[in-house]
Amino acid sequence: QEAAKYEKKVMVLDFVTPTPLGNSWGLGGTCVNVGCIPKKLMHQAALLGQALQDSRNFGWQLTEEAVKHNWMTMTESVQNYISSLNWGYRVALRDKKVTYENAYGEFVGPHTVKATNKRGIEKLYTAERFLIATGERPRYLGIPGDKEYCISSDDLFSLPYCPGKTLVVGASYVALECAGFLAGLGLDVTVMVRSILLRGFDQDMANRIGGYMEEHGINFIREFVPIEVQQIEEGTPGRLKVIAKSRKGNEIIEGEYNTVLLAIGRDACTRKIGLDKVGVRINEKTGKIPVNDEEQTNVPYIYAVGDILQDKLELTPVAIQAGRLLVRRLYAGATRKCDYVNVPTTVFTPLEYGACGYSEETAVEKFGEENIEVYHSHFWPLEWTVPSRDNNKCYAKIICSIPDNERVIGFHVLGPNAGEVTQGFAAAIKCGMTKEQLDSTIGIHPVCAEV
Amino acid sequence: MGWEEKHVRGYPEFVQTAQRYHGRPIFALFCGDKDAEGRSWCPDCVTAEPVVRKELHNMPDGSVFIYCLVGDRAYWKDPNNEFRKNLKLTGVPTLLKYGTPQKLVEEECFKAELVRMLFTED
Repeated sequence: QEAAKYEKKVMVLDFVTPTPLGNSWGLGGTCVNVGCIPKKLMHQAALLGQALQDSRNFGWQLTEEAVKHNWMTMTESVQNYISSLNWGYRVALRDKKVTYENAYGEFVGPHTVKATNKRGIEKLYTAERFLIATGERPRYLGIPGDKEYCISSDDLFSLPYCPGKTLVVGASYVALECAGFLAGLGLDVTVMVRSILLRGFDQDMANRIGGYMEEHGINFIREFVPIEVQQIEEGTPGRLKVIAKSRKGNEIIEGEYNTVLLAIGRDACTRKIGLDKVGVRINEKTGKIPVNDEEQTNVPYIYAVGDILQDKLELTPVAIQAGRLLVRRLYAGATRKCDYVNVPTTVFTPLEYGACGYSEETAVEKFGEENIEVYHSHFWPLEWTVPSRDNNKCYAKIICSIPDNERVIGFHVLGPNAGEVTQGFAAAIKCGMTKEQLDSTIGIHPVCAEV
Repeated sequence: MGWEEKHVRGYPEFVQTAQRYHGRPIFALFCGDKDAEGRSWCPDCVTAEPVVRKELHNMPDGSVFIYCLVGDRAYWKDPNNEFRKNLKLTGVPTLLKYGTPQKLVEEECFKAELVRMLFTED
């Protein structure tokens, strides 16, 4: 849309290769269809369930019968919203005269792509420049029964039946967020973890998140990996048997579940788009595309943004920002490059985690323990006092660089609305806020963020 | 088979007609009432109607096009009117594909290309 603003002739080729179970979706990419948007909505559904329970302490009189959740009602509402977004994008593109084709694009030669639609009809297009933003898809385990019986996040948000007793394989934020809201909706959830939780995130915070989830009814099986999935009974949901092996020793365990959700990682969609035909270099091992700081690949007229980039953050707002700035540099004479430093993120686990900047371990590794000061505190949200919810779980810490005026280089908060809290602090960190400036900012009371 | 057009006025008539054609693609254009000379109080509706009519031939076979007058200006301005409450309409003219989130609102209805996209989209 940005390029069309500058009167360039633009075409978008968007195509979703169906999941092993046949699932597909509309225009908008992962975030809109099978990522952030449905995830946050289902997380909200789970939070509302908790709120209903808390409400009794605040005087609301719910009927005697247990409050129940209807999976189909929730999924239908979420999917309707997503459809309206898909439609909104179609209208926006059409209105700005961006040509849209629901077709699979691949390079066939210099400056030329072939677009194949779902009926197999091929068309060729040429262009002056190309932008690749094909993103990633969930990885499968490569064990017997995985593609036939397991689902991934690509299938979960539109699953036409309640998943029931679920095994989540993985310890990524996708795994923990999904496990979190499924349990919040009242389902029996187990998480099977190969080694650590939330690799790449501050491990102290990761362990607090895991601890909280465990205390609140989610089972964790640590240091096991599935080696086979068998179907005991067909159904919606059916019954599956999972056989898993320990990573330490030879112990084998078995478990029965209605649904197995795989969330063990995502692979870049760069292997089958003809990059070799135009000479775009990719990292053979990971499939990611290395780019310079102007998002340009080794082929000057081909650019890339988003999750497929090597060594860059896999976040929707980062991709959007990179894309917009790139187009402005190309067609509007701008010079600003995308700033990948101090990008705030939030993990929407039952106890939300917001972060910006360095994790404690990375800060220690990079600057040395003697140059780092960590300030931290537990806090008890006022809203949790009356319903007697945990008083020692919410937690905040900042990491400061001593030699640099105690500049805040890491911000971590664990508590309700972590995303909302973190956004403001991220702007402050970008401005180079120091501990002293933070201290001299008077808090809003009573809110969690004042800590 | 082509398509057919139905004229209705007011919410209950609209719902009754839409239900009668359940199972077929239903497109609806909501406009403000017309006076004795056939002019609507809603100037945008006056602009949109011919644009929409020109694209009707793009609707899939078997479609039903419901042309619905919502009421007078006072009724429309009431934030609790049934169209706003039940169909979630936010403005007139609105052109929508019934039972889907696909719709075009106000100035979007002036654009032949968007109207055509609405009629031909899967």
